[in-house]
Amino acid sequence: MFIKHFVAIVFFISCCYSNAQTCDLTLKGKVTDFHDVQPLELAQIYVKQMQKTYISKADGTYEITGLCAGIYDLSISHYDCNTKNITINIDTNKTVDIKLEHHISDLEEVKVIADVHDNHSSTQSSTRIKSETIEKFSGASLGDALATVQGVTSLKTGNSVVKPVIHGLYGSRVAIVNDGLRQQDQEWGVEHAPNVDINSASSIEVIKGASALRYGGDAIGGTIVIEPSRVISKDTLMGRAILQGQINGRGGSATATVNNYRNSGWYQQATLTYKRLGDFESPDYILSNTGSETAAVNIALGFKKFEYGASLKYSFYDTEIGILRASHIGNAADLVTSINSGQPTIINDFTYDVNAPKQAVQHHGIQFNTYKRFAGLGKLDVDYAFQFNNRKEFDIRRGENAGNASLDIDLQTHTIAGHLLIDALEDFTIQLGTDAMYQINSPDATTGVRRLIPDYSAYRIGGFTSALYEPNENWILDAGVRFDYYQIDADKFYLQSRWEDLGYDTQYPQFEVNEQGNQILTNPVLDYNLFAFTAGAKYFFNDHFDLGINLSTANRAPNPSELFSDGLHHALATIELGSLDLEKEQSYKINTNFHVQQGKFDFEVNPYTNRVQNFIQLIPTGVETTNRGAFPVFEYEQVNALLYGIDAHATYDFYTRKRSKEMKSNPNEIIYNVEKLISLSTRFSYIHGTDTSNDEALIDMPPAQIQNDLIWHDVADTGINFQLTHQYVWQQNRFPDNDYDVLVPLDDGTFENRTVQISQTPEAYSLWNAGFSYAFAKAKLSITSNNIFNTSYRNYLNRQRFYADEVGRDVQIQFIYNF
Amino acid sequence: MKKTIQTLAMAAIAVVSMTSCEDDDAPQIINQEEVITTVTYTLTNAADTTDTVILRSVDADGEGPNAPVKTVSGTLTAGASYNGEVRFENELESPAENITLEVIEEGDEHEVFYNSTVSGVSISKTDVDVNGNPIGVTSTLSTGAAGTGSLSIVLRHEPTKPNNGTLSDAGGETDVQVTFNVTVQ
Repeated sequence: MFIKHFVAIVFFISCCYSNAQTCDLTLKGKVTDFHDVQPLELAQIYVKQMQKTYISKADGTYEITGLCAGIYDLSISHYDCNTKNITINIDTNKTVDIKLEHHISDLEEVKVIADVHDNHSSTQSSTRIKSETIEKFSGASLGDALATVQGVTSLKTGNSVVKPVIHGLYGSRVAIVNDGLRQQDQEWGVEHAPNVDINSASSIEVIKGASALRYGGDAIGGTIVIEPSRVISKDTLMGRAILQGQINGRGGSATATVNNYRNSGWYQQATLTYKRLGDFESPDYILSNTGSETAAVNIALGFKKFEYGASLKYSFYDTEIGILRASHIGNAADLVTSINSGQPTIINDFTYDVNAPKQAVQHHGIQFNTYKRFAGLGKLDVDYAFQFNNRKEFDIRRGENAGNASLDIDLQTHTIAGHLLIDALEDFTIQLGTDAMYQINSPDATTGVRRLIPDYSAYRIGGFTSALYEPNENWILDAGVRFDYYQIDADKFYLQSRWEDLGYDTQYPQFEVNEQGNQILTNPVLDYNLFAFTAGAKYFFNDHFDLGINLSTANRAPNPSELFSDGLHHALATIELGSLDLEKEQSYKINTNFHVQQGKFDFEVNPYTNRVQNFIQLIPTGVETTNRGAFPVFEYEQVNALLYGIDAHATYDFYTRKRSKEMKSNPNEIIYNVEKLISLSTRFSYIHGTDTSNDEALIDMPPAQIQNDLIWHDVADTGINFQLTHQYVWQQNRFPDNDYDVLVPLDDGTFENRTVQISQTPEAYSLWNAGFSYAFAKAKLSITSNNIFNTSYRNYLNRQRFYADEVGRDVQIQFIYNF
Repeated sequence: MKKTIQTLAMAAIAVVSMTSCEDDDAPQIINQEEVITTVTYTLTNAADTTDTVILRSVDADGEGPNAPVKTVSGTLTAGASYNGEVRFENELESPAENITLEVIEEGDEHEVFYNSTVSGVSISKTDVDVNGNPIGVTSTLSTGAAGTGSLSIVLRHEPTKPNNGTLSDAGGETDVQVTFNVTVQ
């Protein structure tokens, strides 16, 4: 019944976008190898506007019938070749021969990436960021690039620490998978950005749910899969260099990638990146101590054949990031002063120097991968990786400690994984995998500051299986299940008074080891059984409409910060306390995805709901007084949460006929006389988060936002592209009231009880960006201005919103050279 | 196939067990440095050294849940002048660390502010930093008529110096903020 109605609605919509035309045109031709002109059998010809794939016959010929007059985007792929994209204007029956470049030899790599909603081979809701978009962010961070995806926002500390937020969730709830292995870089901290060089990524896929079971079942927010550039089997040296400079921050970045591929299968890849920025500037003042310096190296050496191969990779990421000087405060009374002053309490002259407070992070990764294909079965992959993450945080300190880190943590992680892809069956694709992790966390004992995160070792062992079933061209069905066992064994000193105040002396006497002065050494050993399950279906109504639904349920174990946090946070003058009795979180998420592809119009809408039982969050529990003054206490507690929201994305392209330059040199080549003139795109996201246990709004939920882009291609035949972007972010009107009162000393010696207004959200804001780009030969030059009107605004999801405005106008120049 | 999986499992176990041998030394205790557990303001009558009043605030667990314990040893004499000396200590370390020495050494980055609501009580700082601006480790307190009220001591790190003597003008980061009830009679 429902389907019938739906089809009717769909049909109604489709009438509005199609013109009355005769649809009996035929496109045919022959697919051949570029090198030896041999016909290519089984080449896939994907017609974007029809969302349909045609296959070439044994003699390489293909035929697409029933075409209407109009413009079609074709994507032609073959398991042994590079994918080729062409645009064809059909007005009569036409013959077009296609030559494919013969140098990719990995069946797995063949994916018809038609558009950003490329996931026509799975039911999960995912969006891919293309390499052109990634290139634009060569001087920014991974989090900034991810925020271009609808439904993904950023949780920031200043402008350089950017954490991705997927459907309102972040940190340990979002897995970042870099080149096949999960990044382990102390992601639990709010001020910890992913230690990944965006320039090493060739494409990034954002999966908005826990359905990427291969990479762990606990990513209840979503998974970000970062893929390096594909390896090709052909004697060639290729690469890219990008230079970028910006006015705001008075610095820039340089990055270069070199790939050396051999026909024998051997290859080497290297990416080097360096970035240096000084203090950022808001419209009215300098944001003192917000400079940063980052260097990154990625090196890969490997051997790749269709049947077997191996690779060894090393990556290094080193960054030093200044934290706004004015955001380091003494006590809650100082916070009142900072909030009320309306601008940072410390503003110095511009400098490139980065002083305390700051963070310095180094991440090393070594990764070994090997694979073998078994005829009639599939592909077996084995990976081993070692990651070493060192994080230092520097606070404003006194005396001989000045200049010493107050936090210095080494995190070492070993991971081993085996994965079997069974793709020999006709309609089924089956995956099986198992992986194990061993992790050691060792904070430096000589910092003179009690450990924020204790010494611990953690083990995880897990396995999963999933299956994808495609019974016919209308249906995709998939399902998967995963189980993990996780244990964390910590050695932690508690203040005796804290241990007793939390009631742990009666609840966990078995963890007590010995008493040393006013502290007690404890050995909490906690373990968790984690289950994840996902199932989904996708239905293609016809060539233009598809509807997918994916259900996932997943568990997440509490992270070390949630379990063990114990101390003062200088950025917000809060005492944050972990809780040993936290249980695993349980998420139930339903993602639905409706996609329309109708000629020049492409529209996708993704409503979702995520119910999380035992959702772990910081909850204010009181105020404690010390000789330093008063501090609010926040404890990690569990509530039930309900998040729901909607993401939408639409694009519309206007075309124009332009004289083809290609036609002169090769009259038989494909006709390129139809070109995009103007592309419009809109992205919208809204999320509604509720703590159902206490019937109040969830904190830190991204406000509704819309972004509109206009690209004018080849302005007046100059070859210049013009881009205009407008972003509007609403005020978040739903937030919990965590305000508290504190005594503030006045100049006359009296004290006044004042409310610390930490809950109020910033006002709505509107930003305009514009830019020009010009591509010539193998190079591209672009000039972009962000926040053109130098608008002063504050962002709810920036931890520094209490102290300072966001950055003001910026002008960037970027030069890309491909070779 | 089965054999491959077995080999894999063996390899996984081998890696895990190899690396497991590394740790298991009990971690070293860290006594929080820089925490000011004890603030002592000693007032000695300039005319009568036997007339001393000691104001103390002791927060034995630093950032722990217990509130500081405050004691005032007696009452101030009306119409008198006292020499004051403040002392900041970290008694979590043994022997206790005298943080006052760091405050004096980095005098240009610190300042102590005194305020009292008792009418007639005024406090002036008697020491200066390298730039000739007050620090406030030593002070004089003069009393007027009898009365009761509060006396607060605030230590600021990296305040604006020079300033007009008020907390709001000085800014900076609060390192100490304690208040005592005092009586002048």
